[in-house]
Amino acid sequence: MDAKLKETILNPIFKGNPITVLVLGICSSLAVTVTLKGALVMALSVIVVTGISSLILSLLRNTIPGRVRIIVQLVVVAMMVILVDQILKSFEATYAIDKQLSVYIGLIITNCIVMGRIEAFALGNKPWPSFLDGVANGAGYGMILLIVAFFRELLGSGTLFGVDVLGWLGYVPNNLVILPPFALILLGCIVWVQRAIQKDLQEK
Amino acid sequence: MNTNSNLYTVIYTTVIVVVVAAVLAIVSQSLKGRQEANEKADTISQMLTAAGFGTKAEFQAMGNAAVLDKYAEEIDKAFVVDVDGQKVADLPLDQVYSPSQLKKQNYNLKGADTPQLPVFVFKNGITVVPVYGAGLWGPVWGYIAFEPASNTIKGAYFDHESETAGLGAKIKDDPAFQASFSGEKVLFDQDDPFDIVKGGAPRDAEDKSLIDNKIDAITGATMTSQGLERAIETWLGAYAKYFLGAAPESCAPQGEACCCSGCEKDCCATCPCEKCCTSEDCTLSCGENCCSTQCGCCAEGCCETKTVEE
Repeated sequence: MDAKLKETILNPIFKGNPITVLVLGICSSLAVTVTLKGALVMALSVIVVTGISSLILSLLRNTIPGRVRIIVQLVVVAMMVILVDQILKSFEATYAIDKQLSVYIGLIITNCIVMGRIEAFALGNKPWPSFLDGVANGAGYGMILLIVAFFRELLGSGTLFGVDVLGWLGYVPNNLVILPPFALILLGCIVWVQRAIQKDLQEK
Repeated sequence: MNTNSNLYTVIYTTVIVVVVAAVLAIVSQSLKGRQEANEKADTISQMLTAAGFGTKAEFQAMGNAAVLDKYAEEIDKAFVVDVDGQKVADLPLDQVYSPSQLKKQNYNLKGADTPQLPVFVFKNGITVVPVYGAGLWGPVWGYIAFEPASNTIKGAYFDHESETAGLGAKIKDDPAFQASFSGEKVLFDQDDPFDIVKGGAPRDAEDKSLIDNKIDAITGATMTSQGLERAIETWLGAYAKYFLGAAPESCAPQGEACCCSGCEKDCCATCPCEKCCTSEDCTLSCGENCCSTQCGCCAEGCCETKTVEE
């Protein structure tokens, strides 16, 4: 694998993470991180949507009329989001989780990461790198989601993936952790840690 | 090729929209069956939860097939009544009313058409009826279970489409809220059959228990609480005549024998056993139709007696 492709994949995971560095997709990362299971399904959904819409739009990039390109992007992204939602609703294992995520699956379409990567990357690159870029950005988003959800589920419900892990300590769940403000505090801490490690992000 | 000409732009957008619409239509049609099966199992698990056969989490863990089996095992009969409390039609035992069907009946209740109000009676006599209405952001609905032939609530389960997480969503997520319905009475003969009171429901002076038809609203979720109260009042108001008709008082005139000797099927099932069939009646008429499934009230006691005599 050549260096550029590797950079395309690794950059969104840490150095250019869509949530902690670009500060995109904050809304849903506060809303769907109460449980790990919800965060995992959301992360996978976003990976699928960003990956495949980037792929489709990259394939179409030379044919799209410039004046209506945003609308064409929206149509494709909306189609992907609806497909993901329909598929989640169709399986026993994911039906309940889809109900729990309710509007947030549909709101993937408004997630700036999706449109941002299409506009910034997919429309100017070949399909394969575009697909990888979409997947990697989705994965970078999903990784932060899972980190936040890990702490929120552990401290807020005393469970991980629904399995009771703190019960034997007599742990009393903290209700603040369940509420969105705590997710913002936690996100702030993650940004703090990342900036401490990655010095070039610090302003002079 | 000039991709910026008007004609190209119009044709391009038309083609892409048609293609996307076709893809979505095909996928939607082909997945519809699975989605409906999931929704049905979910609805059934909500009804079973309301009726106290288990918790929602337990049913979720069981899987669809097991939930349907459990329902088939417990359900006695299902039928549709009108606003006068008269039975209109029987429902197949495997048919339930999902939120989309309740929505239609909710329109009918507002005058669009004749409402068809489903009633589900389980083998242990518990009666489950649905409620449906508007919350703050979207519909709220639920299933309320009543003790056999009574206006006392056995349990309730509520669900919603998009109420605020942590506030309005508590109608579904907060077990304490749903539990507060248990033991409450719905006063069907009054204009205001049930209240969800903002700022704390009035309490009994001595033991601080909730008063008959009043429960506490959810803090910070005034609109959802009000919406749910309206849903309950509208729907239970429509069921009022059915429940008043099914109450013991109106069954009694038909006589104690009504349960034990070939009486109307409906009367038997909705009459409480103590009122309709004394154990003496049961012994006398046992073997005729007392122990048949249509006379649920006598079935256990009298059959035992008979076995002993033989």
